[in-house]
Amino acid sequence: MNVLSKFAALGALMLIAACSNNDPSALGGGAGGSGAIQPGSPSDPRSPAYFQQTVGDRVLFAVDQSTLSPQAQTVLQGQAEWLLANTDYTATIEGHADEQGTREYNLALGARRANAAREYLISRGVAGNRIQTISYGKERPIEICSTEECYSKNRRAVTVLTGSTLG
Amino acid sequence: MMKLLTSLFVGLTLLSAPVYAQSGPLRLELTEGIIEPMPFAVPSFVPDSPAAAQYATDISRVVAADLTGTGLFREISSDAFISRVSSFEAPVQFADWKAINAQALVTGAVNVSGKRLTVRFRIWDVFSGQELGNGLQFAGTTDGWRRMAHKVADQVYSRITGEGGYFDSRVAFVSESGPKDQRRKRLAIMDYDGANVQYLTDSAAIVLAPRFSPTGDRLLYTSYESGRPRIYVLDVGRVKRQELKTQDGTMSFSPRFSPDGRSIVYSLIQGGNTDLWKMDLASGQSVRLTNTPAIETAPSYSPDGTQIVFESDRSGTPQLYIMPANGGEATRISFGQGRYGTPVWSPRGDLIAFTKQNKGRFHIGVMRTDGSEERLLTASFLDEGPTWSPNGRVIMFSRETQGASGRSSLYSVDISGRNLRPVRTPDGGSDPAWGPLQN
Amino acid sequence: METGTKISAIAHVSLIGWALFGGTFRSEPLPMAVQDVSVISAEQFAAMTAQREAPEVPSTPESLEQPPEPVEEVNAPEPTQEEQPRPEPVTPSEPEPEPVPETVEVPPEPEVVEEPPVLEQPEPEAVVLPTLPGPEAQPRPADRVAPEPIAPPPPEAQIDDVESPPVSLDEGAETQQEQQDQTAPEEATDQIVTEAEESDKTAPTTSPRPRVRPNRPAPPAEPEVAETSEPAAPAEAPSSSEQDAIEDALSEALRDSEPSGPPLTSGEKDAMRLAVSRCWNVGSLSTDALSTVVVVGFSLNRDGTVVGGSLRLLDSSGGSAGAEKQAFDAARRAILRCGARGYDLPADKYEHWQDIEITFNPERMRIK
Repeated sequence: MNVLSKFAALGALMLIAACSNNDPSALGGGAGGSGAIQPGSPSDPRSPAYFQQTVGDRVLFAVDQSTLSPQAQTVLQGQAEWLLANTDYTATIEGHADEQGTREYNLALGARRANAAREYLISRGVAGNRIQTISYGKERPIEICSTEECYSKNRRAVTVLTGSTLG
Repeated sequence: MMKLLTSLFVGLTLLSAPVYAQSGPLRLELTEGIIEPMPFAVPSFVPDSPAAAQYATDISRVVAADLTGTGLFREISSDAFISRVSSFEAPVQFADWKAINAQALVTGAVNVSGKRLTVRFRIWDVFSGQELGNGLQFAGTTDGWRRMAHKVADQVYSRITGEGGYFDSRVAFVSESGPKDQRRKRLAIMDYDGANVQYLTDSAAIVLAPRFSPTGDRLLYTSYESGRPRIYVLDVGRVKRQELKTQDGTMSFSPRFSPDGRSIVYSLIQGGNTDLWKMDLASGQSVRLTNTPAIETAPSYSPDGTQIVFESDRSGTPQLYIMPANGGEATRISFGQGRYGTPVWSPRGDLIAFTKQNKGRFHIGVMRTDGSEERLLTASFLDEGPTWSPNGRVIMFSRETQGASGRSSLYSVDISGRNLRPVRTPDGGSDPAWGPLQN
Repeated sequence: METGTKISAIAHVSLIGWALFGGTFRSEPLPMAVQDVSVISAEQFAAMTAQREAPEVPSTPESLEQPPEPVEEVNAPEPTQEEQPRPEPVTPSEPEPEPVPETVEVPPEPEVVEEPPVLEQPEPEAVVLPTLPGPEAQPRPADRVAPEPIAPPPPEAQIDDVESPPVSLDEGAETQQEQQDQTAPEEATDQIVTEAEESDKTAPTTSPRPRVRPNRPAPPAEPEVAETSEPAAPAEAPSSSEQDAIEDALSEALRDSEPSGPPLTSGEKDAMRLAVSRCWNVGSLSTDALSTVVVVGFSLNRDGTVVGGSLRLLDSSGGSAGAEKQAFDAARRAILRCGARGYDLPADKYEHWQDIEITFNPERMRIK
């Protein structure tokens, strides 16, 4: 119970950082990565920053869809490998929708997307109890224009790392 | 041929009703009328004492604003008045009001003693010189003067239209501020006309889609305050909230009270799949109502509590379905082009309001409960989330504007599609929920 | 952990139980009881206020003792919202400016009085082609829906149910005429136009459009088609024109036995019907009242004005008792308003129109 709520709080923290959509290195700050070069920096393959920038922390979806494109599967494959290699971390996958759609339906749609990503990670060997999902529906867009260019970036599932090393 | 038939008919009529033709009255049938706002006048209510003067003026203004706001009435400015009403007891000079074409006239008087406020009023049909119903008096406190005005207006409205009133009611909504990517949301409640806004939560967590209990004393809503979407119930008077426990580790949202207030229906997400569940509030026990791999959400009870209309994408796109209130086979009712969502059963039971998305536009519409006679009332970049006035005559909804600077605000529209107008709120607003008439 | 869950569960159950159980919560006065509003009965009120039916007896307010009020002591007001210190005197929801005709499309040359569409009655022989909107003319949204669309009135014209030309005091004029403001019928569309329809071009939809006015102007009739001898009154239901024909034929057959001049022609009847329908405003009626058919009887004086007190409800069908009242009120207003200056009926046929019964059938005016 306690651990769970801690995770949730952490997830929220990381979400805020993720939403600001830049300077991801800030995330890794203080994380005890054990790489040779600059622990915690994006060049440290064991750092969350590396996960976010190099592996890729998000996959995008087509309109109304929650199926994973080949590109999305490639990204998730990388995520799975990283998670298998860095067992200290757990993850929360946030599902999102664009603004075209009603609020409650989009909340359910975001959950579907997050779950699609989770199922894929599990199918690649990541333990199910390491991956939580949450949906924000259309409540947390990262791009705010009202064109497909922005919409396509908002229809996403973002894998946010949490872990004891961050606590 | 036609002529033959006609003369045949005439012959028959002659035999059967010769009296009618000879000396009866001229009989006419009208099937065509006009639809226009009815002109009315509300001369400032008469204060019984100087202390009542401001209340008298303010109350008559609110009465007039309520009536005008319906789109069914048009106020005649006091500049046009010929006679002044300086005494509530004096006979009404109907000729003076006829001359300015006032068809309805509301006269009133206000008394204040201490904190106690009384309003007396009468409603007149000017052209027949008759009073519509009997005079009434409302008593309350000076703090509640706006409610007294709304009550007077409700009486005027229902006596002229035959429809129940809706002015003395409140609306819960989500107050929104900030840009789209940093939007802050707070649960708020206000009078139906946007006055007396009161905030019920802070903006620390996302809040969504409030719904009133049948008596208006509690609100159900969805909040992210625990980190994930969960259902809360809030006591409006005491501003105290409490989470309604659903399965651990799940997300739950879209809660609505049953008409008897004893249970709620809501959406629960398990393994990425969203189904409808029902919770008995006394026991806290939930049972599943739908069990499909599709998204089932946005439920709404029929007023008699026997059925639930909801949104499901089991056909591939979101459409509207009706099922028995305890679950069971669902019948699809929406068949037009596009996607349908957020169905809301009207308090009169005859119509279902919904959001429709088609060809890149959003509409608020209504249809009969069997899906027939669909009518779209609005069109914009993004309209959604209809809610019914207590009398089932007006629909309020939220409208979001396009682009980076887009913001959400509340609008209302008559179910005829007329009288589309914004509802003023201090900040942006979304997800309105219209409460019942107050006692 | 277990303990926490237990405590939480107990807290939840007890809160829900408290919130739901028994009358306590629900029957308790609302916490906002500051706004406790109570109603006294009509009788009490009537007793309290003056008898205005008898104006010759001046009512003295002093004599009107207020009866003991049935209102309980009102609780001390407890301001419930800190953020809202006092009711503001200004209503935040000030009404939107009404789209009154003045603001709508001023005709290009203000001096020129626009010809409103034909409202006068056709001669019985004449066939009137309904005025047609242009091929792609969309119905315009207006605040008013009437049997025929009416163009925006000239800017100086006052809105009136009766159309009249402007009369000004001409210095040199011999005949004394009262100065009179120009009046014109108020602008109207012939159907309700919703926002969804206004934007139809951008958002075509296959859903059935609201057709509150089922009889749009008919497509242009070929001239040679106009051979029927019946007046093609555009605003008429086929059934009623047939009825008219029957009644005409009937009256003709009976002409000899009539006490005075010839009966009203169908044109004259239509004129009377239209005169009343122009004031029959169903826009403020409930849907229930819109399902109610009422038959109203009344008598006219020789000058065409309504005999005081002659209006009565003869019959009603289709609606509840409450709806019947509103439907009758609307019908009564129509007859009285449009007859305020007397109906224009042929004086020599007074016996034929002295008593009138009108069936007000709003079926086609319903919100569908």
